[in-house]
Amino acid sequence: MSKSIYFLFIILACIALAVPATAIGTRPVDAWSYYHFDGTGFTSGPSADSTPSFAVRERVRPVLLLSLTSNISPTALPEGSGVVAGICYIRTAGGKLEGGAGSGYAPYPRVPLLISSGGKSFVTVQTDEQGYFIVVLPAGKYSIGSGPTTAEIVVDQGITTLIPLQAGKRMVD
Amino acid sequence: MRAFFTQLTITAITLLAIALPGFCGSLDDYYLNAFSEQPAGSAVQKAVLFQTAAPGEQAQCGTPLKHGLSRDWNRLEAATQKVLAKQLAAPVLSGDKKDVTSLTSPSGKFLIHYTTAGVDAVPSISWVQTVAQTFDDVAAAYSARGWRLAPTPSVAPYDVYLRELATQRLYGQTTSNQQLASAGFANAYGSYMEIDNNFTDSIYTGANGGPFSPTQSLQITAAHEYHHAIQYGYNYYFDIWYAEATSTWMEDELYDSVNQLYNYLPAWFSNSTKALDQTVGSDATSSGAGYSRWIFNRYLAEQHGIDTVRAAWEKLAGQSNNGADVVMAPVLDSLLATTYNSSLGSEVFGFAKRVYTGAWGSGAASHPQDLNLIHPYTATATLSNYPASLTSTLNHYSFAFYTFTPSASVSALSIAVNKTSGISTALFKKTSGTITEIAANSSGNYSVAGFSSLNAASDEVVLVVVNKSSTDGHQAAFSTNGSAAAVSEPSSTPSTSGGSGGGGCFIATAAYGSYLHPQVQLLRDFRDRQLLTNAPGRAFVALYYRFSPPLADFIAQHESVRAVTRVALTPLLFTVIHPIAAGLIAIMLLGSAYLSVRRRILVQTAVGNLVAIRAKM
Repeated sequence: MSKSIYFLFIILACIALAVPATAIGTRPVDAWSYYHFDGTGFTSGPSADSTPSFAVRERVRPVLLLSLTSNISPTALPEGSGVVAGICYIRTAGGKLEGGAGSGYAPYPRVPLLISSGGKSFVTVQTDEQGYFIVVLPAGKYSIGSGPTTAEIVVDQGITTLIPLQAGKRMVD
Repeated sequence: MRAFFTQLTITAITLLAIALPGFCGSLDDYYLNAFSEQPAGSAVQKAVLFQTAAPGEQAQCGTPLKHGLSRDWNRLEAATQKVLAKQLAAPVLSGDKKDVTSLTSPSGKFLIHYTTAGVDAVPSISWVQTVAQTFDDVAAAYSARGWRLAPTPSVAPYDVYLRELATQRLYGQTTSNQQLASAGFANAYGSYMEIDNNFTDSIYTGANGGPFSPTQSLQITAAHEYHHAIQYGYNYYFDIWYAEATSTWMEDELYDSVNQLYNYLPAWFSNSTKALDQTVGSDATSSGAGYSRWIFNRYLAEQHGIDTVRAAWEKLAGQSNNGADVVMAPVLDSLLATTYNSSLGSEVFGFAKRVYTGAWGSGAASHPQDLNLIHPYTATATLSNYPASLTSTLNHYSFAFYTFTPSASVSALSIAVNKTSGISTALFKKTSGTITEIAANSSGNYSVAGFSSLNAASDEVVLVVVNKSSTDGHQAAFSTNGSAAAVSEPSSTPSTSGGSGGGGCFIATAAYGSYLHPQVQLLRDFRDRQLLTNAPGRAFVALYYRFSPPLADFIAQHESVRAVTRVALTPLLFTVIHPIAAGLIAIMLLGSAYLSVRRRILVQTAVGNLVAIRAKM
């Protein structure tokens, strides 16, 4: 094998390794990741049923999808801000009649959620008709909700934090 | 001219901006009035007036008032938002605004929300009055039995919504809405309730064990659901299985003649190897979870008095579990140990024997007219080919029945038993309908004389095997050929991780032999209430959990080390129980140590001085 062919082989091998490495390295930033609420927490992947899923991407506002779509328009986050998104839900349990099972959750729609920082009220957001909420916040520490169901969260710049907020309990009979 | 209009516009906007806050109070008053959230007196006066129904109206989606509240939410004062928050999540009844109204019960304790139009329409106003009166009766009955009624904000009436729930196959549902803490009830919550609007659907009237009249369904639903409301008032973090067990038990305590609850029993008895506190899932009525456990409450009431169940809820009121539901089994166990000199395991054992013997009502003589409604035991296995051998592995707080069919070839039945530490067994012989318990010999084995002479069709011998512990996997092996198979102890981790989010106190559990021992519970409480509430405490607990398990294993395997550990833990327990006395003792010890050291120094100095003086001399 001549030196020039050997040299060419080396270059091709480097390119072959570099392309996927670059693709893998850039994917988390450029590609949407999907998460859905499974009744207790958010799990990766789109929802298998008709429940909504969050499309999440770094430095971009998350999008709540009612159905999967390949065309999501990204909206850049303001500099120095991150996102808290999630669902407010009521845990349900019980069912005296067959088929009337209440084991799962019920969304908590139109409920105001107080977001505080450093012991002071920062902003109040309201969940949508399906209990979901998205709020863009400056990076920092916050508490969201009130009473024992309060969640302490850290908002990182450019990052979306997904949280499930159990706001109640329903005995179904 | 243009400048004039510009100035006029700016002035108008400025005036509007200044005036707006002045209207805020009006908006708040508007919504507070609309939702009957003004002071209790005025709300009652307003609500007792019936609104005339407008029959024939087409159903419309939602109530405009609630949508308006949602729209104007951010314009309301914080205090108003707090009061009205529940309205955003409360049910929206069918019909237009004029169709949706409410009726305050005669006692003023309940506000019955109903509609006269659409799918949720009530059959008549008199039915609404019946509902109101029924809830008053239920509240009075609970109050008379010493229960603390469901809390409401500012002692407002409790909200009950009448809705079409038959399509969802529900009798009713009760939902928490806001924290209403008070002294001794730190985790108390308010709630609201939805029940079916008429109970006329065949799923209610023709329910298993029926027929049931709409009034009967209303009665048991009111008793059941309102007890859930009471439960939220004791501790929002209740364990769901026990909540259902208690609500269902209360149905029969308040309305003894309906008896629908007996139909839940077969599901438990045919799944008796599942734990007492089995999770209430979507198959609750077929698996027996939750609802069927009502009869365990009857057993406790017959053994220790009807107030036992309320005492359990009162004990729960003071418990917390780092934001998770409080596991009820340790709470029951602790109550039974401290108040009734018993344990949950002992009660489960006694209960399993009662299920077999059917000797309900003996002693307390409760519900004697309904004894025939209690489903008989279900055999886990029936053995008729001898010799027979079997190994039973049981979940925590569960039981199994093994029936030995009489055989002419076995004159005397000998049953050898090997069992792990959490298992208790009992043997019964039924002859001509009479049941007698046969005591085990000193080795824990049984012998039944005259086995071959029993009637194979009607007589039997039954071995009751019970896992009295909080740990899954305890085993009992038995055999009729004289030697039972070997059994192995399960892992020491209790299945019910109750009492804390961080698990048990390993060393104390090993030393006292049980996760449920009162002293171990005491240390768990100390950890949860004192250590986990501050950073140094949490760091200590984390360190403890990192290093203690191997030590705990060593302690558990050596009885002498366990005894030494119990002695070593005594000062710690004393400190936890009597912190002031322990502090005083510590001060006294330190003081005496200081005095002793000081005296020694003085003596040494004096001796030194004497030596020096002598040297000079």
